[in-house]
Amino acid sequence: MSSWIDYTVNGIIIGNIYALLAVGLALIFGVSRLINFAHGSVYVVGAYAGFLAVTHLGTPLPVTIALVVVVGALLGLVIERFGLRPLQGYAHIAPLLATIGISFVLDQLVQLFFTPDPRALPSSLLETRFQIGSGTIGALDLVIAAIGLASAGLLYTFLRYTRLGWAVRATAQDRDAAQQMGVDVDAVNRTVFAIASGLGAVSGLLVGMYYNYIDPAMSFQATLKGVVAQVVGGVGNVPGAIAGSLLLGLVESYGIALFGTSYRNLFAFVLLVAVLVWRPNGLFASKRQTPPEPMTGTFIAPSRPIQIPGKVLLAAAAVAALVPLVLPHPYVLQTLTNSWLYALLGLSLTLIAGTVGLVSLGHAALLAIGGYSSALLALNFGVPVGIAILSAGLIAALLGTVLVFPSFRLRGHYLSIATLAIGEIVSLVILNWEWLTRGPIGVSGIPSLSLFGIELDTDRSVYWFTLVLVIVLAALQLRLLGSHLGRVLRAVRDDDVAARSYGIRLDRYKALAFAFGSFAAGVSGGVTSHIYSYINHETFNAQLSILALTIVILGGMGNVTGAIVGSVLLVGLPEVFRVAAEYRVLIYGLVLLLLVRFRPQGLLGTV
Amino acid sequence: MTELLSLENINTFYGPVQVHFDLSLTVGRGHIVCLLGGNASGKSTTMKIILGLVKPQSGIVRFDGQPATGLPTPQIVRRGVGSVPEARRLFGDMSVRENLLMGAFVRKDQKAIAEDLDRVLGLFPKLAERLAQRAGTLSGGEQQMVAMARALMGRPKLICMDEPTMGLSPLWVDRVLDLIAAINKEGVTVFMVEQNASLALEIAHHAYVLQTGRIVLQGPASQLRADPRIRDAYLGGQEAA
Repeated sequence: MSSWIDYTVNGIIIGNIYALLAVGLALIFGVSRLINFAHGSVYVVGAYAGFLAVTHLGTPLPVTIALVVVVGALLGLVIERFGLRPLQGYAHIAPLLATIGISFVLDQLVQLFFTPDPRALPSSLLETRFQIGSGTIGALDLVIAAIGLASAGLLYTFLRYTRLGWAVRATAQDRDAAQQMGVDVDAVNRTVFAIASGLGAVSGLLVGMYYNYIDPAMSFQATLKGVVAQVVGGVGNVPGAIAGSLLLGLVESYGIALFGTSYRNLFAFVLLVAVLVWRPNGLFASKRQTPPEPMTGTFIAPSRPIQIPGKVLLAAAAVAALVPLVLPHPYVLQTLTNSWLYALLGLSLTLIAGTVGLVSLGHAALLAIGGYSSALLALNFGVPVGIAILSAGLIAALLGTVLVFPSFRLRGHYLSIATLAIGEIVSLVILNWEWLTRGPIGVSGIPSLSLFGIELDTDRSVYWFTLVLVIVLAALQLRLLGSHLGRVLRAVRDDDVAARSYGIRLDRYKALAFAFGSFAAGVSGGVTSHIYSYINHETFNAQLSILALTIVILGGMGNVTGAIVGSVLLVGLPEVFRVAAEYRVLIYGLVLLLLVRFRPQGLLGTV
Repeated sequence: MTELLSLENINTFYGPVQVHFDLSLTVGRGHIVCLLGGNASGKSTTMKIILGLVKPQSGIVRFDGQPATGLPTPQIVRRGVGSVPEARRLFGDMSVRENLLMGAFVRKDQKAIAEDLDRVLGLFPKLAERLAQRAGTLSGGEQQMVAMARALMGRPKLICMDEPTMGLSPLWVDRVLDLIAAINKEGVTVFMVEQNASLALEIAHHAYVLQTGRIVLQGPASQLRADPRIRDAYLGGQEAA
């Protein structure tokens, strides 16, 4: 049993590592109002660059650090070049989505080069530990603390006493005014990305040495931790980010001491949601308010949706229905069935993100809620599968809405981050709530699909079942969009202040849309669980949330037909062309990146 | 009189909306030139075009004898255009001193900058007491002084001011106008956008009246002061057109 001193030391060291990430995110947010979701990828690349240097070149620590800083800084410049610069003047959520795309691409490249297997990243330091009181502190701990302190000192000197540092501060406070003083804000952006990414890369190196473990999947969690620390300290606030990081490190460390390792991230995300809901300007915000967020409407590129005549839609549905008779190949049918399931998810998200403008980054959580609900109802209580799936939809609608409800007053980025965190919380609760969800073991032996006592045991029947679900829910959603209610929802998206001044209760309408959307996602999750017959906490992971968003943007935000088309293209096509799984995420990332840049209104146009 | 700045046949669009229709104007060296007009007449956009913050669809901007159309803002600033933006736009978390020094951002001559700081503080003695204070905590009038002093720190040939009297008390309005006149006496050309026509015409040499993107009236300020059409034009009356 380690002592409290050990946990404190550990918390501070981890806090230092988070601080290197969070400070970079804060700097970037400061000058460009962008939450850089590729930051975790920089961290991973930094860890692997260090790994290569140490294992292949045998570099001593100072050289390794210098190398990693350079690699990180260069990568930062690349991210700025492709993720931010071409998107100036776009809605603020556009560069955010672009950085998500970039992070998919980078993570996948790291995985292709180094395989997904974890590696050891030995630190060349002696395993010396010094006794302090009842605890100990290691040489590596001291090095990490020293690097943290030195970085903070250098950063302070830079911002305070150099010309470029002044330019960075001026740009962060008022970009236009800084330009009118002759500041080249693009150069400022590049500088900030280079510095932030250099620090982020070092963070990856240090964490790798600290745990003597690196793997490509660390990226997403690193981004999240950085974001949590930054939001806790107040977005864009550099000293706040450091304080937030140390707090987060300590909370995690003590949390592990009290409850165990698997709860670690739960604390981080609960802290995040709590801060977002109660103190959205951060715990250490000055009196000054953070700059107002871009409006909720976020990512609606003005466009005229492509009108598809009803006859064509009916014909398309008929063709889809005939596929099993014409092409009774099981592989084709399974692939398309999969596309229909994703189409349900797409319908859900296109309503929530497109029609109402709540860009959710945690949509997979609704699948998970639906999947577990249906599976457990059928397994534990012998509920007929059809009813279990229906209940799964209702439970997802209810639970999803209740969970997100407190976040409805958040706007733009903040709402997206909150949904991301809620998604992670759901997944962690599933992992830890063992008596209900069977924890890490997962739920197996889920009864296969059946309806009114009839087993849907052929590929053909499953195909038709999911197709009918898509058609029915899509038709309902089209009706909804055409109704008075649909107009109100769009009004909420386009201008919530105006909508409110017409007496529209925003929360209720957001909740209504969220519930309707969550129902479709829950049903999709439920059906999936019965088809797979086994699910665990990773079946519906965060990647699916991003895939869902890509589907929706590809089809056109708010566009019902678009969501179905997007799903067939993104889920179906790679299957048909048998693209190896490791390239698929790469493709999703590239598609997202290209869409945001070149066709933000999607293929069929936003509605 | 030589001209320092000229705009020739500027047409500007925001998306499908046309803001300027063949707008032309000139600013003579050493003058105070005033652009008057009501809301949404395209005044501020004119300012943004001079500063390179908005690019016109067609037309030519000439500054100090050289074409300046479409140059990025920092380059235009380097050529000698200073700016007092609408609503001041100070760097609220930086001290007054830091704000003033930001005004000299494009300059490298440290010694001359220090001298200019003293000179500017001579012009705005009130600011000398506030040098260490956070700019965001000053009153509106004081902030306007910082904004003007900041613009002067760049040693500009031309200062563009976007509604320098907006939101100030009558007392401060007079003070600010006096200061603009004083700055001008030091040899700096001033181009200002104003809604407050009668006050602006007191200090201006020349003025233009802009109405929905077109110049509808122009002339020496002394003439316009007496012109009954000025009120009509500026209130959007129909007779003026």
